[in-house]
Amino acid sequence: MVSRILSTVVAMTAGLLVLANFFFYSDPIGALSLYLVRTASVVAAFALVLGGVNVLTVHLNKIYSRDKGWGYSMVLLGALLFTLGVGFLTGGPASIPMQNIFETVLFPLEATLFSLLAFFVVTAAYRAFRVKSFETGLFVVFGLIVLLGQVPVGAMLWDQFPVIKDWVLDVPAMAGARGILLGVALGTAATGLRVLLGIDRPYADRRPPTTDR
Amino acid sequence: MNETQRVMLLFLVVFLPALYLAGRRVQRGILPDLRLIPAFDALRGVTARAIETGRALHVSLGLGGITGDVTADSLAGISVLEYLADQSAAAGAPPIVTLADPTLLPLAQDVVRRPYGPDREGAARAARHVRWIAPESAAYAAGVMGVLGGEGVDANVMIGAFGDEYLLMGEAASRRGMAHVGGASDPNVLPFVFATADETLMGEDMYAAGAYLSGRPWHIGSLLAQDFMRWVIVAGIVALVVVKTVF
Repeated sequence: MVSRILSTVVAMTAGLLVLANFFFYSDPIGALSLYLVRTASVVAAFALVLGGVNVLTVHLNKIYSRDKGWGYSMVLLGALLFTLGVGFLTGGPASIPMQNIFETVLFPLEATLFSLLAFFVVTAAYRAFRVKSFETGLFVVFGLIVLLGQVPVGAMLWDQFPVIKDWVLDVPAMAGARGILLGVALGTAATGLRVLLGIDRPYADRRPPTTDR
Repeated sequence: MNETQRVMLLFLVVFLPALYLAGRRVQRGILPDLRLIPAFDALRGVTARAIETGRALHVSLGLGGITGDVTADSLAGISVLEYLADQSAAAGAPPIVTLADPTLLPLAQDVVRRPYGPDREGAARAARHVRWIAPESAAYAAGVMGVLGGEGVDANVMIGAFGDEYLLMGEAASRRGMAHVGGASDPNVLPFVFATADETLMGEDMYAAGAYLSGRPWHIGSLLAQDFMRWVIVAGIVALVVVKTVF
């Protein structure tokens, strides 16, 4: 109980101080706010250690119990320990061996995975373009118009396709995106205020549910 | 105080009383009719489906953490996880939870542990199902695709902050015929969610999880306050357009 109250008071005070610093210029509030933000960064850095322990625990368990794919866990832990060792022995992530690992292993692997996006877009579009309702019908029509307006063959078929495509992107699509962003901004503000006012306490100890939801 | 600060202060001055009054109104039992969001109905069914099939439920909380611009998205994912964890705990089958930002790890572990109460063994087992995959989006997507493909997952819920990697994971779920509920706030990611998920939570729908799934009065109240603010902003935009056009 005491920890719940204490954590709520600390969170509300910290949040209100940082918010006050956004609106009003004051040296003491500014300094305190900067200190709180820096403290949050340090605490967040410690979370990385927790993450590392989690990775070790999950994959050691997998290897120990010979779960499906346990060999991949061995490769993962081997790569993790090797990279960690190289980093410690050569002076951190800015060292040449570490840069080599990033540039010759990590970046090419990431690029390879993201290059698959092109094929995934095709299969996802195939599934999305099956007309199941009025909305999916509109999705298909506007998708085809934008596609034809984007490729040279569309302009060859009808020179108005690029013009219609620009209108679709600039007017209805932009209006829809702005409507979504307005809703997201309001939702974010409401979530932030609930946390700030102590209505939502994601940081506090929780009690087990007592009622059927 | 510059213009942005003045506008934000005005926003807070109007929004805070609206939030308070709407919350109190709901607390007194005056409940509004909430519009139907099929994704929340689907979320009520995914746990049952996973339990019936004896397979796993996977929940992805995305790339966000609790110290950045997308904290609200992560908290929306946590709200959904809270509901699913309560449901799963009754059957002793905790969901597999994956995340990319380690600041979310203790929070997610706490959420899945909570329904077990004094059952320390059950709580510890549930917490072991929460996995930090990787902070990089590509590595995270690869890890999640591995979980979806190799751990007998039957239902997939992805709610949080995502980028283009959503499509990689969403497609992996769709191809395996999993029940899939997705939610994102970034308009650039929403087409990927729409194309791959059975049911979608678009934009602000995501933040309504506490109201729809758990029926918390202050969450329902905040939906009313958001609607009120939306009308105020729309009226303001229309008024400014008229003033600018006429004068």
